[in-house]
Amino acid sequence: MKGLLIKDFKLMMMQKNFFLSIIAIAVVLTVFVKNPSFIIGYLTFIGSVFTLSTISYDEFDNGNAFLFSLPITRKLYALEKYVFGFLTGACSCLISLILCMIFGLIFGNYSISDSLMTAGMSFPMFLFLLLLMLPVHLKFGSEKGKIAILGVLGAVFIVGFLFVKLDQLLGLGIIASLNSMSDLGIGGLIAAMFAIVAVLFLISYRISSKIMEKKEF
Amino acid sequence: MLKINHLKKNYPSFSLDCSLHVAPGCITGLIGQNGSGKSTTFKSILGLISTDGGQISLFGKDMHELTIADRQKLGVVLSDSGFSGYITPQDLVPILKNLYPDFDKAFFLTNLEKFGLSGTKKIKEFSTGMKAKLKVLVAISHNARLLLLDEPTAGLDVIARDELLDLLRSFMEQDEERSILISSHISSDLESLCDDLYMIHDGKIVLHEDTDVLLSDYALLKVNAEQYETLEKQYILKVKKESFGYCCLTDQKQFYLDNYPQIVIENGTIDNVITMMIRGAAI
Repeated sequence: MKGLLIKDFKLMMMQKNFFLSIIAIAVVLTVFVKNPSFIIGYLTFIGSVFTLSTISYDEFDNGNAFLFSLPITRKLYALEKYVFGFLTGACSCLISLILCMIFGLIFGNYSISDSLMTAGMSFPMFLFLLLLMLPVHLKFGSEKGKIAILGVLGAVFIVGFLFVKLDQLLGLGIIASLNSMSDLGIGGLIAAMFAIVAVLFLISYRISSKIMEKKEF
Repeated sequence: MLKINHLKKNYPSFSLDCSLHVAPGCITGLIGQNGSGKSTTFKSILGLISTDGGQISLFGKDMHELTIADRQKLGVVLSDSGFSGYITPQDLVPILKNLYPDFDKAFFLTNLEKFGLSGTKKIKEFSTGMKAKLKVLVAISHNARLLLLDEPTAGLDVIARDELLDLLRSFMEQDEERSILISSHISSDLESLCDDLYMIHDGKIVLHEDTDVLLSDYALLKVNAEQYETLEKQYILKVKKESFGYCCLTDQKQFYLDNYPQIVIENGTIDNVITMMIRGAAI
């Protein structure tokens, strides 16, 4: 696992100019938008989905064949992508929080609790996105994966829509209880989001492992 | 070390049925034309593709039971695949160190310099020869017990090929238990390196012989129609019609040297033998 993480980290470092420019854009946008919390969502998103780019780098020039001849298992490879996505997402979230504080110190009118709340909400949200996108990218590869993800998002939307309609028709009251989650308070809501992400991770990881185990190189 | 028993893989236009054995301390060559099944065999051993039958055992274990620790004892070179071209050889050091407990950093860095490979250049910017050297260097730098080398010399010039083969010889000299399975379509590479050779054609092993025996006992007999009629055919493996008469492959050169001094007898080379095994007809 550590070897794979270092590989992905090295691949990311190769893109350091890209990341520096992303941070620069985020800083400029934040100044214009005058909302330091903006930077949190933006950077956390870029950070957590970078792991998808590492899949493309692994595929480059038929690299996967050699990669899977190394002392790793396919399950471990899939797990490493989740861990890497989590780490890069968490690091980006942390960096953006620090940037937010710096902004607050320079421009004043800054509330650390607001930033923490934004970070607490954005991080699980982008993790959710990652959990959705990783199996799709592993299954279809980076090129077809981009198209496939649109299909998956569409499917999620349709399932959600049908779920709401079904809930209304049968009077199950699931949506009403979800709405009442706001009573949990922001801390409870964030905790609930992380709990949902943890359950989704288990499902997503299981799917990704199966996908990897069936792949031929 | 490695045993393959009727490994089967079926594609719409190609079927592999391969059996071979790599003994401890031996360098075994797999030679065949492009598309003969060499890479499919390697990919099957490594579990990169699913198989349709047969058994593969590595280090005395079924390949499906191999642990990560077992796989750490393998050094692999694939002809069409390697580490991501976006990283540098220097980047490989911490990666390999964490993948292989026996990774020899000093050996890796020394040979990197010896081969003139820049540590800070991205692999994708390397020439074909440089990439090939790096692949072999990675495979031999972690005290592997078995090297699986699929076309490691492809695209290399004579000097670079010699350097690589020397590197493999010195790898073998360090431990008597080490083994290599190497494939190539360049026969001279294997002739000078391998203890025994398997010839593969259309997914089937058509010949297995010790390299010494192949070079000393195999021969091509060039005979006209009249000579062919009187020739003892018991030791003829394959025969091919030529403009001058017949070309016959034998594995008993001495018999024909002793009994037919008037016929033209050419020493067997891997190229001769493989050509005859593929194009020649059975008696």
